[in-house]
Amino acid sequence: MDIPYTVSARPDTGLYNAKVGVWLFLASEVMLFGGLFSAYIFLRVGADYPWPVHELNVTMGFINTLVLIGSSVTVLLAWASIKLRKFTAYKVYMAITIACALTFMVIKSFEYRSKFTHYSVTMTDGTILTGHLPHGFDIEFGEVNELTLTVAGKTASIDANPVSYVLPYIKGTAPSFKTEAGEDIQLDSTSFAKLADEARAKAREKQKAEGLKETPNWSIKLKAASPITFSVPPSKLLAKPALDAKSISFRDGTTVEGKIINDKMTIEVDGVDLRGTPEKEKSLAWNEHYLGSAWKNFFIHQRDEAIAEFSKKYDDGKGGLSRDPNKSATHQKEQFYLHIHSPKPESHEASNAAHGAEVHAPKEGHDAGHASHHPEVQLERKDVQFYSNFTPKLNSYYAIYFTLTGLHGLHVIAGALVLAYFLIFDGRRLRENPEHMANRIEVGGLFWHFVDLVWIFLFPLLYLL
Amino acid sequence: MSAAAHSHDHAHDHGHDHHELGFVNKYIFSTDHKVIGIQYAITGLLFLLFGFFLMMLMRWSIAYPGQPIPGFDVVSSIPGLGWVFNEMIGRWAPGGVVNGELYNMLGAMHGTIMVFLGIVPLGFAGFVNFVMPLQIGTIDMAFPKLNMWSYWLFFVSGVMMFASFFVGTGSVQTGWTMYSPLASTTSIAVTNVWMHGHTWWLLAMVFNISASLLGSVNVITTVINLRAKGMTWMRMPFFCWAMFIVSFLLLLAFPPLEVAALLQFSDRVFGSSFFLPTGLMEGGQHLDISGGGSPLLYQHLFWFLAHPEVYVLILPAFAILAEVIPANTRRPLWGYKAMVYGALTLGFLSFLVWAHHMYLTGMGTMMSTYFQITTVLISVPSVILLTGLMISLWGGSIRFTPQMLFASAFLPMFGIGGLTGLPLAFTFIDLALHDTYYVIGHFHYVVAPGTIFALFAGIYHWYPKATGRKMNEFLGKLHFWPSLLGMNMIFAPMFIQGMGGFHRRWYDGGKYFEQTSSASNWFTEFTSSFFSIFGMDVPNNLFGLNVMMSVGAFVLALGQVPFILNFFLSIKGGKEAGSDNPWNATTLEWAAPTPPPHGNFDFEPVVVRGPYEYSVPGMEQDFFPQWESEPGKRAEPSAAPVPAVTAHH
Amino acid sequence: MADSPEEIYKSIKKIKVIGLMLAVFTILTVGLSYVELPTHSLNIIVGMILATIKAALVALIFMHLNHEKVLIYKFLAFTITFVLALFILFYASSTDPLVFDGF
Repeated sequence: MDIPYTVSARPDTGLYNAKVGVWLFLASEVMLFGGLFSAYIFLRVGADYPWPVHELNVTMGFINTLVLIGSSVTVLLAWASIKLRKFTAYKVYMAITIACALTFMVIKSFEYRSKFTHYSVTMTDGTILTGHLPHGFDIEFGEVNELTLTVAGKTASIDANPVSYVLPYIKGTAPSFKTEAGEDIQLDSTSFAKLADEARAKAREKQKAEGLKETPNWSIKLKAASPITFSVPPSKLLAKPALDAKSISFRDGTTVEGKIINDKMTIEVDGVDLRGTPEKEKSLAWNEHYLGSAWKNFFIHQRDEAIAEFSKKYDDGKGGLSRDPNKSATHQKEQFYLHIHSPKPESHEASNAAHGAEVHAPKEGHDAGHASHHPEVQLERKDVQFYSNFTPKLNSYYAIYFTLTGLHGLHVIAGALVLAYFLIFDGRRLRENPEHMANRIEVGGLFWHFVDLVWIFLFPLLYLL
Repeated sequence: MSAAAHSHDHAHDHGHDHHELGFVNKYIFSTDHKVIGIQYAITGLLFLLFGFFLMMLMRWSIAYPGQPIPGFDVVSSIPGLGWVFNEMIGRWAPGGVVNGELYNMLGAMHGTIMVFLGIVPLGFAGFVNFVMPLQIGTIDMAFPKLNMWSYWLFFVSGVMMFASFFVGTGSVQTGWTMYSPLASTTSIAVTNVWMHGHTWWLLAMVFNISASLLGSVNVITTVINLRAKGMTWMRMPFFCWAMFIVSFLLLLAFPPLEVAALLQFSDRVFGSSFFLPTGLMEGGQHLDISGGGSPLLYQHLFWFLAHPEVYVLILPAFAILAEVIPANTRRPLWGYKAMVYGALTLGFLSFLVWAHHMYLTGMGTMMSTYFQITTVLISVPSVILLTGLMISLWGGSIRFTPQMLFASAFLPMFGIGGLTGLPLAFTFIDLALHDTYYVIGHFHYVVAPGTIFALFAGIYHWYPKATGRKMNEFLGKLHFWPSLLGMNMIFAPMFIQGMGGFHRRWYDGGKYFEQTSSASNWFTEFTSSFFSIFGMDVPNNLFGLNVMMSVGAFVLALGQVPFILNFFLSIKGGKEAGSDNPWNATTLEWAAPTPPPHGNFDFEPVVVRGPYEYSVPGMEQDFFPQWESEPGKRAEPSAAPVPAVTAHH
Repeated sequence: MADSPEEIYKSIKKIKVIGLMLAVFTILTVGLSYVELPTHSLNIIVGMILATIKAALVALIFMHLNHEKVLIYKFLAFTITFVLALFILFYASSTDPLVFDGF
């Protein structure tokens, strides 16, 4: 059974079915990206921090733009080749198009990866340090003798599972445990299941005996044979532990008592952002055991230079400025954003710093090639307000950046898959019904141009402006 | 031109071919629009029933807070079913008492299921797939394979929604609107955010939206490109017009919801702060988030969909009634053109009114004023549609078939729903009534005795075309009267409670809000003394009305039993339809063989007149079908005017 | 639609020219973004104008919207209306004052 107007156009509309369909689909896509762009506007208008400009890798974005434009051209050439019945040319152009899509995704993945490994730490006074965390960030919590798991009775057992959620964070091997009944066990999934069943049964008995309406909470207590030390990322904990916390709770409900041994965050600083700091010269970053006064002087020098340059550039000839320095985002960045490329302030600048530069030398033996470019500081947790790698968590800019480009990337993949399907599996249609094939390429091409069109807006909005 | 004739020949060939299809290809992964329509309809009906069941549990909890659900122990001890019941409901209801968490889940899922998995699949996808290609005289949808994908994507979304009850955390608890920041942060105590009912809900919505996207592209393309010869735009039945407009609403309004779901998903799984303001605290602690987002953003994105969604729910009802009423009054549809333009205006305006759901969000006064104006404006086309249907009754010789009973009950019921909505359009009234039972009563009058009655009417109307047999009239009436009574018993008292200040999220029905719930009036007194006849002790106050509503829900449930029996028994045991056109209707679906084979028509349909030519003066029979040039004679292809070829631009 | 071989050869030429123009506009966009205009908003406006020109080239030439059927213009007109409503109303509601002094 043949549906009418799959190949030829309906006379009164002048369109074949697939073309109507794809334009409707694109209209829906316009609404999808329209919704995302309006979210972008909403977030940008409401942002309470300087919106990042030129912060992404512009070169990579630029290359990707050219790649997509190129692929848009080749997909059209492929269509034209079919119309001219030059099938080899068609195949070559299609292959180039798909290769472009792959190139785009590869470049994109490099961009993403560099963001995932790069961290930003906001200190309590608003100063932001960026850099790499060579060891990640774990809280070391030691002198633990007992594990207590408490599970709310009414929610049954959502996720209570210390075997997979708590044991992996023990430093060294897990010791044996003593149950409340006095039994010595190695904690694993079988022994835990048995303990959980017993505890649950006991709670149910209690419910029956006392005629309670709800199952009471049940708990398991385990005594460790030898003291345990945990090394756990804060995201695995139910709440941020207090600075001198005597106990921490894992997200699965396990609570342990002990004390914090080490919760310092080691960061190789490659940038200091003081735009959010009220008193730039008293920033926590200039503490002697952090970056110290040498970098502070370097910063003051850079700031003064930036101010001098700005006054020269916008001198209105009457002793005033033709531009408000507080309203120039670029100037604010030049003044208050410090790039760090060396472990110590460079020598000609250091000479300006009268005070002796005392910066923590990079620790020996550790990733020397990398660390030697950046000063390594150990931040105390009390000074850290928020930290994240450059992922959606960091701020609304990165959130919308990843959502927009991620969704766009999915469209690139989908488009490339469709075009690859046409190229590889539609050989028969190409030979027997090239007109239909041309329609398919036209429709696939329309989608592909739309993907290009979205990127044309994404590139300036996210990379440049 | 020739393409249509060409395809027609092929349709003949396939009259034989379709027997070769295996069971799976014919009934499961079918590309036939009628099978897909029936699949959609049955899945939708099942979800409606499921949503209804959730509502019954809620109503019990509201009327008798703290008391165990009757029959709880019996159901949980049934092997198999008992396990399902316990995993889904039982573990949240210790001793059979619905607790707050469960009530929130029931509320959220009742809304979601009724709207996205019940009414839209049945009312839009089911009916449009089955009826529309027949009505415009084509052999199938424009993209049959996409049509199949649409159904199966929808199916996946339904399964995921249902399965979210069984995830450790239970299903979503934040209302069907999923307002952030609450909905963005409820994953806080879970070790694996992927195994959270909320995450499943969001992913299921992405599937659902993809399904409706494919469906609506298909419908629009079919209506535009596959109409039969002579089927000009203004000869198209109103059913197709309304569904055409609904498709546009789905096509253009759903993507922003997809955006909202994706952003909320990102908030929950990747820790972003799209909808979380700076400095948000929970449980006395600052959350580990960057902040900088806005809860208002979520509401904008959500309601940009959800207001057009209201018209997605109601336009199929008008679509069905525009077929049922003329066929049963034997009169033309009154004001066909006005109704078409009214529906188009309605569709357009529905995109520009969304923030009247957000008066209490602290939106500025200028925006509030704008949205008040557009909201009042949109009531005009709604009234045109309702008036058109109502005047169509005037002077007709009405046949009170079950579908006509439902259709005629729709008119006043929808009227109540619509009129009670008008006050809500104004900010100053909304301040008092926002989130009360008044709002619940208002929109349920629109969708429950409104849309759902229309859907029942549609089922009774097109059942003979799908099966070749009519549904039983007596059972139909037995279905209608308890339904009408039950619906009004549930929803009418809601207005009284709402104006008394009852909040929609109280899981105890107001028992612990004594100042509000102890108020009494003549209606509560009536309720109390009415139930005392049956020896029931119902308090003479607003709280006591809950009992009446819950009894109403029970009556409504009983009323569906004859329908379910009727639906299944009539497949084999119903009265034979007698002809391809048992209702003596005028539109093209009645020209096809019964049940229509793959490929639909056994002749090439040619349309020579408008869709509602009933009781034409001077004619012996009281209907003049679209496809007949003179009574009893099919029009020849030459009778259709040659469509103008559009100029190239 | 260009269907005869001559027309297709002509359109191939056009496609290549437009491709080059797009590349040039991209370079222009990147370059201008490093020039500090009097306010940053002006930078954004200029950048968006350039992007819109590029998008228009893609839509009009690559997607042949310069000679498309009326029906498709109708779809797009509605879509664009609603997208604009989305932009404008979102923006307006995020900047709208709570106190309203009348029009």
